[in-house]
Amino acid sequence: MRPPSSLKQEFLKKWIMGLQRCSTVKKNMSILERKKAIKLSADVAMASARNGKTCWSRAIIANASKHGSDKHLVEKILGPESERLIAKKVSTGALCNNRIRSKKILKRSWGIRRTRKCAPQVALASFIAKWLVRKRTKVLKSLIPGGEFMNEVCLIEETLDYIISLRAQVDVMRTLASTSEIVNHN
Amino acid sequence: MSSRRSRQSTAGVSRISDDQIIELVSKLRQLLPEIRDRRSDKVSASKVLQETCNYIRSLHREVDDLSERLSQLLATIDTDSAEAAIIRSLIM
Repeated sequence: MRPPSSLKQEFLKKWIMGLQRCSTVKKNMSILERKKAIKLSADVAMASARNGKTCWSRAIIANASKHGSDKHLVEKILGPESERLIAKKVSTGALCNNRIRSKKILKRSWGIRRTRKCAPQVALASFIAKWLVRKRTKVLKSLIPGGEFMNEVCLIEETLDYIISLRAQVDVMRTLASTSEIVNHN
Repeated sequence: MSSRRSRQSTAGVSRISDDQIIELVSKLRQLLPEIRDRRSDKVSASKVLQETCNYIRSLHREVDDLSERLSQLLATIDTDSAEAAIIRSLIM
């Protein structure tokens, strides 16, 4: 994994590129519009820093490219690689789906076989534990972009990468915000 | 646990070993601020998942807040000062 500081630098570079493009395209945005533009640039910049290697980053890029107005922003931030990166999502999603379907059939058969063999209290405890895990996995899938297409291992790996990227994004944004506030007050 | 692995091999699907999942979950624990500080080794998978979801949600909220702050900052920026020109040339 790349050291955090270079990830932050790359994110900052691309984020600024995106912000500049937003303001050249539309002068005098409302606060809400500007906020959305800032957030979108930040998310796409963070995703592009991963260079198409992770599922969540491809999902963010694909979602952003769906709306015509945002697509140009995405292309600007991604640069020359934009076509390749935007096209990447579809194929991987289908692959994950097939793997998930066969795993689901497997899982269902395990569950039935397991509970028959155990004592009732143990079976209940393990049933509750499994139910909790399943419920929370669903929540996690809804939080990670593109999560619906992932199997368990994929999901956890993506989560790890996503959290690291999010932290870098928050750090950079926080630094910029507090620096700007200080400069503005002086 | 071992019975689970032998059943997996008959399906012809790529194997996920329990060890792999345990390793990934422990890596996840290292990242979460709450669980990392607790000394205990026995944290259930559902707890880790819950903390992960909470952490991601709080990070999302922070991004949202920061975007709002930056947006208001750019709106109220004093147009004449030299510092404003710096910020403006940087991000506008």
